[in-house]
Amino acid sequence: MADEKQNGKRWVGASLPRKEESRLLRGLGKFADDIKLREMLYLRFVRSPYAHARIVSVDTSAAEALPGVACVLTGAEIAAQTQPFIEIGPGPAQNIKDYPLAVTRARYQGEPVAAVVADSAALADDAAELVQVEYEALDPVMDAEDALTDKSILHEGAATNQVWNGVWEFGDVEQAFRDAAYVVNIDRMHFHRFSSTPLENNVVIGQWDPKDEHIYYQCNNSFPSFAVQFLSSHLGVPIDRIRVQTADIGGSFGIKITSYPQMAVCALASKKAGGRPVKWVESRSEHMVSSAHGNERTFRKTRVALDRDGVITAIDSHHIDDCGAYPRYEPLGCVIWSQVFPGVYRFKNARIDFTQAVTNKCPVGPNRGYSRMQHLWFLERVVDICAHQIGIPADEMRLKNYVRPEEFPYLTPNGCIYDSGNYPKMLEVGKKLIGWDDWKAKQAAARAEGRLIGIGIGTTLDSGTNNFGQSQIVNPYAPFSGNSQGANCKLDIYGEVVVAVGSCPQGQGHETTAAQVVADVLGIHPDKITVRTGFDTERNVHTGFSGTYASQFAVSGLSAVHGAAQKLKAEMKRLAGHVLETTEDDLEFGSGEQGPEVRAKSTGKSINYWGLANIVNVNSAVLPEEMYDVTLNCRYVWRAPFKVPDKERKYGQLTLTYASQLHIAVMEVDRETFIPKILDYVAVDDCGTVINPPIVEGQVYGATAHGIGAALMESCVYDEVGNMLTSTFSDYIPITAVNMPKVKYGHVCTPSPHSYSGAKGMGEGGAAPIHTISAALQDALYASGVFIHDSFNNADSIFRVLAKKEGGQLAELVKLEKRAQANGATK
Amino acid sequence: MYPRSFHYHRAKSLQEAAAMLAQLGDQAKLLAGGQSLIPLMKLRFANPAHLVDLNFIAGTSYIHSEAGVGEGGYSETGVSEGGVLRFGALTRHAEIENSALAATVPILHDCAAGIADVQIRNRGTIGGSLAEADPSGDWACVLSTLSTEVRCLGASSPERVIPLSEFILDAYTSALQPDELVSEVMVKIPVKGSGGAYLAFKRSAPVYPTASAAVQLTMEGDRCTDVAIALGCVGLTAIKAKDAEAALRGQTLNDKALAAAGEAASAAAEPQDDMRGSADYKRALVGALVKRAIAIAARRAHGEQVEVSHIYA
Repeated sequence: MADEKQNGKRWVGASLPRKEESRLLRGLGKFADDIKLREMLYLRFVRSPYAHARIVSVDTSAAEALPGVACVLTGAEIAAQTQPFIEIGPGPAQNIKDYPLAVTRARYQGEPVAAVVADSAALADDAAELVQVEYEALDPVMDAEDALTDKSILHEGAATNQVWNGVWEFGDVEQAFRDAAYVVNIDRMHFHRFSSTPLENNVVIGQWDPKDEHIYYQCNNSFPSFAVQFLSSHLGVPIDRIRVQTADIGGSFGIKITSYPQMAVCALASKKAGGRPVKWVESRSEHMVSSAHGNERTFRKTRVALDRDGVITAIDSHHIDDCGAYPRYEPLGCVIWSQVFPGVYRFKNARIDFTQAVTNKCPVGPNRGYSRMQHLWFLERVVDICAHQIGIPADEMRLKNYVRPEEFPYLTPNGCIYDSGNYPKMLEVGKKLIGWDDWKAKQAAARAEGRLIGIGIGTTLDSGTNNFGQSQIVNPYAPFSGNSQGANCKLDIYGEVVVAVGSCPQGQGHETTAAQVVADVLGIHPDKITVRTGFDTERNVHTGFSGTYASQFAVSGLSAVHGAAQKLKAEMKRLAGHVLETTEDDLEFGSGEQGPEVRAKSTGKSINYWGLANIVNVNSAVLPEEMYDVTLNCRYVWRAPFKVPDKERKYGQLTLTYASQLHIAVMEVDRETFIPKILDYVAVDDCGTVINPPIVEGQVYGATAHGIGAALMESCVYDEVGNMLTSTFSDYIPITAVNMPKVKYGHVCTPSPHSYSGAKGMGEGGAAPIHTISAALQDALYASGVFIHDSFNNADSIFRVLAKKEGGQLAELVKLEKRAQANGATK
Repeated sequence: MYPRSFHYHRAKSLQEAAAMLAQLGDQAKLLAGGQSLIPLMKLRFANPAHLVDLNFIAGTSYIHSEAGVGEGGYSETGVSEGGVLRFGALTRHAEIENSALAATVPILHDCAAGIADVQIRNRGTIGGSLAEADPSGDWACVLSTLSTEVRCLGASSPERVIPLSEFILDAYTSALQPDELVSEVMVKIPVKGSGGAYLAFKRSAPVYPTASAAVQLTMEGDRCTDVAIALGCVGLTAIKAKDAEAALRGQTLNDKALAAAGEAASAAAEPQDDMRGSADYKRALVGALVKRAIAIAARRAHGEQVEVSHIYA
């Protein structure tokens, strides 16, 4: 009997082409903007040209008078009929009033102030120009450290710009500093603001059905379960009456999680327009000024203690995060970084004082590598600058400090459990791929000629499957903990295997990997399995955590799919055992002459899937009463085995799996043009058991490109009064193929003991290129007295530190104290 | 965003287009390739009431070679030394990029092939680029190192031919009268022993350069007998770097001469701070680009085939 496995191997792990490919490559994908509904209206936002201003008046009369305009909404009108959005932060942050349109004050350039709805998009653009808004400019606050002085307050109710503060302290930090052989002091480092620029911008179609007060969204939000929780309380509509549907999505990278304010406006506009569907398609410039940016973070007064061998024994630092004008998903980022508290390193003593502030910039949203990449970049900078200061090569420094392979599962100082990993092995693979010794020799020769060549290593973690209990560390009253995902697997009437999951993929190939998992359970070909595209609350599959974010589908999504498939298989066995008059042990699954079937080994009799489905669905008189509970329509909810963390100690298991990445870059800075060029690049990846190698490799390349772009090209820049200077692709430069080096890909596999398949969530990639490129540039420019203190380095910024001696000078920013204990180092 | 509504007019001839300009007044704009105008209209930074579309006029897109007066006819490449290359105003960048005729003057190919990306090169035109007079426009920079004239056609005035140096007056300002348009661009073919190169630093394909350098020089042995150097994106118009030219003219092309030319070019630049780079950086960059362009131009002047690509971030 053919089992339709590949030469007897499992489908999980096979390089199966993506099921999505044909549809997407032939232009047959269905994206939100492809949807056109009868009587549909088009929405355009009127946006604040000021970063900070009091709204004196909004006159909508001229816009409303324009023929073809259905209605105009203002912030005041929305505030009168809704509750402010939920604030996650505690204390004063609870008094921040966040409405989807500015009510009395605009707090960033591009903030929506009014919304115009018309018969066509062009007409909506015309009408938006007719809305007259009178502003009174206020002092803008453009820097998080300035914001914390509270000289100009953004949110009157909160009475402070500080959203959150907390201290993480583990071990005996002061003792470690007393015992240190070396202490390195770093005055200031800065992780810059950038975004993700998905190919498809935000799109929402919202319809408020007046007959039953039911809202129907077709959109590309990437975390609908979160969005509906925010929308339900804001709009005062029971959550079951809010349907959210997604189809194909052209990338999110986390940025589309926070589109719920625009979703609210579309629903309210539809309500005002008598229930006609309202579509909003974000333009690129709108996306750049007001969708969401990644978190910006400043690291102040960092002290690092090291022993005489260069082993880091303690870190003490102050981190200030800038979340833009409204916290929204924040202050979750204030705890999410601590999933990777010690990074890939073994130090036990650390104190991190973490503060978050609001500023007059676009609100942040979870951006690929969310909150952890800033911290991992900080740790990698610390490791590299300490190595340079003490004179230890970058590779040796890492081997001295990495968590060791035999220490897994590794308990971090803050109670996280690193499931598996082998960082020295990744370094070995990376060094071999890049030709480490050759490059070291070439570097020495080039330096003798006066060329500026650097070799940098970036080691990073991609923590996946969050314990939402960490929200209670930022707010003890937060009603969230654990994590879950739902899936449904059924045999439909004619025996089709149909799978639905609570994820909303944006290019991660969920249809393919879900089919691979079910194919292995049932012993049939993945082509015989239909996986529903996109997300739909009315499929009744999802849980409160459903969506696609935070590097978790391989664990949470596929565990749910696996559970549902097993549940279905168990029902099929019971039924087949009855029909074939044999025991369940005697049954085997596979494919026969009449397609997928279940077969009795003893008699050779079989029943195909149609036969089984027929009995349950349309021939149920033959179903024995003791099998009335068999539905062949099996929903399964997978739950991560988490406990609520210790809120006081900020201690506990915050994530389930830890994929790791190690990148190596060789870079040269041109002495005349100052252009940094990548001469060679390696990306080594470990995400445990790989479900589908090309899909993993594709995401590694994508994350690598994203990180290289962020390190060298992509930066959201504001001037001192809050004008966003990078609102188009003429000024914000997303990376393209032209800018990409050839990437050498390497793979290491340490299966996770925390997931059923050994897979770890991946996709975000920990922003390894940002750490790696900073490291390579630091190596190239250390001898020139330059400290790479910023995560963004383009030709111009390198020119300014190298030729003009501005800002990032090593002697000013980094101080080494060498103690008596340093003598007699054993290295 | 969508443009404000406008009236669309399709001209059947350049004369008719000029007449439409005269009739419609300053609320009318010509639509050639539209690669600057359409994005500005979509952002509603430009809001013309009338668009006069030139794209359906036959015979406006061509590359012709014409023998020079008193010269000895065509060479084996089909180009007459001392002759003229004529480009119809609506000749697309991509047509020039792919033209064997244009490739005989390598700096023209450098320019055409390096403009933005394929989609933009397929639409954008040489005449439109000059008429737009964008300070960052590639053609104005490159063509100012060659002997270039612009043929203009007006509704009410006789056809006239304006040297490029007198055609571009300021940022976004040309010598065109309100009812005038560009009909042809005429480029004198450099003499034998002359070579050129155009080099830019660009952060990505579709964006304008941070700075660019065009060099056309004539060599006798290792001595530079004549040279033209223009700097792009570092002033309100392309800048002729006369001191840099003087530093090379009559000199042996060695490191010292190159350094002097680079320094003079940096000094001639008048850049501004923007997201492409700080003014100081652009000044340093343009000097380095000039030096590299000189080196390539000299090799080409000696008959070497040198492929050139812009530098991308």
